[in-house]
Amino acid sequence: MRDKDKKLLSFKESWQINIRAIKLFWKLSPKRIVCRTVSCFWNALTPYVGIWLSALIIEELAGARSPERLKTLVLATLFSAALIALVQALLNRINHIEGDTTEWFQTDFMLSRKMMDLDFHIADDPETRKLLSTIRQNSNGGGWGIHLVAGNYERLLQAVLSLLGGLTLTVSLFTSRVPEQAGSLTLLNSPLFILLLLAAMLAATLLSSALSTKADSYRALNSSAHNLTNRLFSYLGFLGNNIHLAADMRIYEQHHICEKYNKDKTGTFASKGMFAKLSRGPIGLYAGASTAVSILFLTGMVYFFVCLKAWAGAFGIGMVTQYISAISRFSGSIGTLFGTLGYMRNNASFVKLTFDYLDIKNTMYQGSLTVEKRNDRQYEIEFRDVSFRYPGSDQYALRHVSMKFNVGERLAVVGMNGSGKTTFIKLLCRLYDPTEGIILLNGIDIRKYNYDEYIAIFSVVFQDFSLTDFTLGQNVAAAEDYDGAKVESCLTKAGFGERLKTLSSGSETYLGKSFSKECVDMSGGERQKIALARTLYKDAPFIVLDEPTAALDPIAEAEIYSKFNEIIEDKTAIYISHRLSSCRFCDSILVFHKGNLVQQGSHDRLVADEKGKYYELWHAQAQYYDEKAAE
Amino acid sequence: MNHESRKDRPKKEKPKYNMWQTSAFMIALAWREKEKKILVLGLLLTALSVGINLTNLFITPTILGLVEDRAQLSLLISAIAAFLALSMALNTASTYINRNWIYGKITLRLSLVSLLNSKMATTSYPNLYDDKFQKIAAKTNSAINCNTAAGEAIWGTMFDLLENLLGFAIYLMLLSAVSPVLFILITLITLAGYFINKPLNGYGYRHREESGAIERGYWAVRQYAEGPGLAKDIRLFGMRPWLKEVYAKTVDAYKAFQRREANVTIWGRIVDLVLSFLRNAIVYAFLIRQVLAGDLSVSLFLLYFSAAGGFSSWVSGILGSLLTLHGQSMEISTIRECLEYPEPFRFQDGEPLTADPEHPYELRLENVSFRYPDSEKDILSHVNLTLRPGEKLAIVGLNGAGKTTLIKLLCGFYDPDEGRVLLDGEDIRKYSRADYYRLFSAVFQDFALLPVTVAANVAQTEDAIDIRKAKECIEKAGLKEKIESLPSQYETLLNREVHEDAVMLSGGETQRLMLARALYKNAPFVVLDEPTASLDPIAEADLYSKYNDMTKGRSCVYISHRLASTRFCDRIILIEDGLLAEEGTHESLLALGGRYAELFEVQSKYYREGENDHA
Repeated sequence: MRDKDKKLLSFKESWQINIRAIKLFWKLSPKRIVCRTVSCFWNALTPYVGIWLSALIIEELAGARSPERLKTLVLATLFSAALIALVQALLNRINHIEGDTTEWFQTDFMLSRKMMDLDFHIADDPETRKLLSTIRQNSNGGGWGIHLVAGNYERLLQAVLSLLGGLTLTVSLFTSRVPEQAGSLTLLNSPLFILLLLAAMLAATLLSSALSTKADSYRALNSSAHNLTNRLFSYLGFLGNNIHLAADMRIYEQHHICEKYNKDKTGTFASKGMFAKLSRGPIGLYAGASTAVSILFLTGMVYFFVCLKAWAGAFGIGMVTQYISAISRFSGSIGTLFGTLGYMRNNASFVKLTFDYLDIKNTMYQGSLTVEKRNDRQYEIEFRDVSFRYPGSDQYALRHVSMKFNVGERLAVVGMNGSGKTTFIKLLCRLYDPTEGIILLNGIDIRKYNYDEYIAIFSVVFQDFSLTDFTLGQNVAAAEDYDGAKVESCLTKAGFGERLKTLSSGSETYLGKSFSKECVDMSGGERQKIALARTLYKDAPFIVLDEPTAALDPIAEAEIYSKFNEIIEDKTAIYISHRLSSCRFCDSILVFHKGNLVQQGSHDRLVADEKGKYYELWHAQAQYYDEKAAE
Repeated sequence: MNHESRKDRPKKEKPKYNMWQTSAFMIALAWREKEKKILVLGLLLTALSVGINLTNLFITPTILGLVEDRAQLSLLISAIAAFLALSMALNTASTYINRNWIYGKITLRLSLVSLLNSKMATTSYPNLYDDKFQKIAAKTNSAINCNTAAGEAIWGTMFDLLENLLGFAIYLMLLSAVSPVLFILITLITLAGYFINKPLNGYGYRHREESGAIERGYWAVRQYAEGPGLAKDIRLFGMRPWLKEVYAKTVDAYKAFQRREANVTIWGRIVDLVLSFLRNAIVYAFLIRQVLAGDLSVSLFLLYFSAAGGFSSWVSGILGSLLTLHGQSMEISTIRECLEYPEPFRFQDGEPLTADPEHPYELRLENVSFRYPDSEKDILSHVNLTLRPGEKLAIVGLNGAGKTTLIKLLCGFYDPDEGRVLLDGEDIRKYSRADYYRLFSAVFQDFALLPVTVAANVAQTEDAIDIRKAKECIEKAGLKEKIESLPSQYETLLNREVHEDAVMLSGGETQRLMLARALYKNAPFVVLDEPTASLDPIAEADLYSKYNDMTKGRSCVYISHRLASTRFCDRIILIEDGLLAEEGTHESLLALGGRYAELFEVQSKYYREGENDHA
């Protein structure tokens, strides 16, 4: 059941990854790291003040019992405790503001920002998507990932400091001598004995933390099973909440299949599942053994050593409490130290994924030519023997496409599903670069232009366009601030004018509930009109419409067609549609079939070619409308 | 601060069930789901925790006493050995059980998930649009969606409370041996601390809507930035700087929120340190005086001093777990309210119906009117319509005319406000609604591709797939070639959201799969709601003919705003403004020259002209 080939990283590699991650945290917020470090010092060292003062009180009570001195000691204990707590509260306040959620946002959004900054063809690559999704799942489901690194750093530093603090309070434990009259207990004075004792304590600590790391490693090593189960759970556990699927779920009684998975006791995390079995076996046993070793050898040896020495008269009982408390903290810190090191190693392979992702480089060639902002909008586009394969696919999505068109033309692109229409558009807008061949703008390879300027001459409504939950105006302008009058005119041109009048907040209306509780749900057809308005607002010389009327009813569709010339004015329009009737007003029609550009020409010419693909497509639809054909 | 907290306190909502009832509900759930182990392990862990606490309390003072009294060496050694053995046994057992306790808790949370999901998937359809139900249902999500959610965490809280109560009782006995006054003082100081801190620490909870709104915004921006949905739009419309700006503002807003929170909670820490100063001062003064008077040995001083601190944490522990339990039980109460939400439709209590594909059913709308709850006018008014056995009926009309509503009334998703829906003359309200749904094979615009195999998606079950029938349906739907070209064929997993290596079917292929699914169900009525919107002309024409074959001998209702596609139907009705405006065959409606003819004209204009030009 264990994930195939999954191994822990070597200690060295995991250390390098953690160091790199710490540097990244430093870059994200130096203030936060400083704050964490100061807190570490304070939290690690101050507890020893209390331990030391309490020991003095006990010593005094067991010895001289001077009321004056006791009063001083008690007051010192009380005030120092209050002061320590006060500083701690102030540090926590800063940590709460700068850290916790803020830090989480920073590391979390770092990944989203990266995705935005990637070239489209890389962002669209299933491998990239899968990598990010795995990182997200490891973090959501198993809690693994880069966000743990800063906390681990803090624990590690605190453990080391606490060790050092503990040492200063316990040096005298080893140096104080048992009086000679104690007989065989003078063995406790022997340096060799002390060395052996320390070695044994170290060995016990190492063993204990190795056992606990081993117990944790089962979870790290099985993260794929873990993630699959979480994905199943997120989908089937909440399918019923999707109100759009409600009718379908009821007709096909889909809750049965959901129940089967949701109530499966042999599921990864359920009571008869893989992790439950592992926990009854190795996970539980290793963790238990780790505890047993730590208590038996570590705590045990300390108690015996301290108590026997005290019994033999090396020091008073006040010191016994000091040594025991100090060493308990001390050995706790050793445990934390090694535990954290193990945890960091378990986590490193997950942090590595994040770096693999952040290290992805943009590969698209970025030229420097400026795209002339021509007043006459004279642009000419040419495809010269262009072929294209999607990354990871061995089939061409487009083959040897050559064509030319001028600004101001109306171009239609038709073909069956999967014939290469949308791919053609993606190449045109340079979301992808051709695998073979070149695309030219005014005779120059489009790769030589500045990318942002090139892409700025296109305005596109894709079939799978998306809108955001921001306001209507912001959606149309695709920006925070917008020109209200322009938004309104674009919406009106796109056929949204009547609906706009019914909205009490007008362009300020939110389209979804993410940013405001007051929002309006738009229907599919209305969203399509808003997307159309967005392309008009951009006012680019080329306007590309990929099935812009699929969700509209015949009247709304006809309205948009009839206003089409007015809508796009002097822009060049490229138009993809399954409704061939809508191609008729275009100057030229491109017919794609299985990745090839099979025909190009006007409607009248193409429909006359009875052997052509266009004729076939046209008649598949026209037969329903044409009376003669129907009978 | 008092003023502020009063102002911001949300209205008190009284949950339907109190925390004892919800605890009992959870225990009953454990019983019913055969997870009694969760209770046994919980009790064991509680006992072990208290045991460990007591061992730690006694170990140092006892040994110190032995050293102080210069007891025999062998006695000292055996005392240390005994304590160590005890501590090791208790801690090891506790670690082991702790690692094993979680799975029962997860299983029970999953059974709550399953109950809620099934409720949502089967509840009377109008409930889904009912404000009150929606609110309750939305709240249940956060009670079950992760390990720290109330539906799982409540177990920890219940046993925490038990542990604190147990510890409290034991320490009470211990301290009352010293002085009742002392423990009354400690209790009072602890209570004071708790009640001063409660409103301060509750700041985040009271203002959770504020932080929740910021978080909601963050999740949306994150999804826009990294999700595939907006990837093209971000690049083509240059939305990057905008999204980054919104993100930066979100973080600033959250920081500001945390600053406000920290500025309140820090006073709680300060109150705490003053009170613990006071408490320790009293305890020191009291115990040291006794030691000086010779009434107390140093080791007992140590014992009582630690016990005083421990007692105080038991008291605040009890109050804290009660508070947490109260909060969590409110969430569990919401789960129960959702599960027990009344059903306007009949299910188990309705008359049973058996779907017989051979039976000539007649379905009739009798003077039906319907309006959506928050609407001011009827979406359908006084509609009379009979679907005769074996008839193919098309419903056409503009967006928002009421086509889908009509289908929903026929399928029994809504009951009419006026009039009746009759199956063979009987009001469908008397039947079990789940049985009634079995009469329909449907292809809706929205559907789920389940994360199971192709065959299971067709059969909609994993347990009793008639594989021959499934293959047959896939073949009839025209998908055989595609499926058999896949390496795992009919066993191919679907749904990329869940299975990372799942096969992605194109829009047309998915439509065919849905068709195969409808064929497999083989129900007396077939309902098709705009199933070809995104298909190319040839695929569309092919599917029309497949629908035509599929519905032979069945009653069929077909919605489309492509008028051409309705021509295989026996009868067409046109809905406009909630009324059944026109009715007839394609030819008769064209001859009528009404609204239908007009719509057809708009759509066919370009095609016909094309033919004419060509001709």
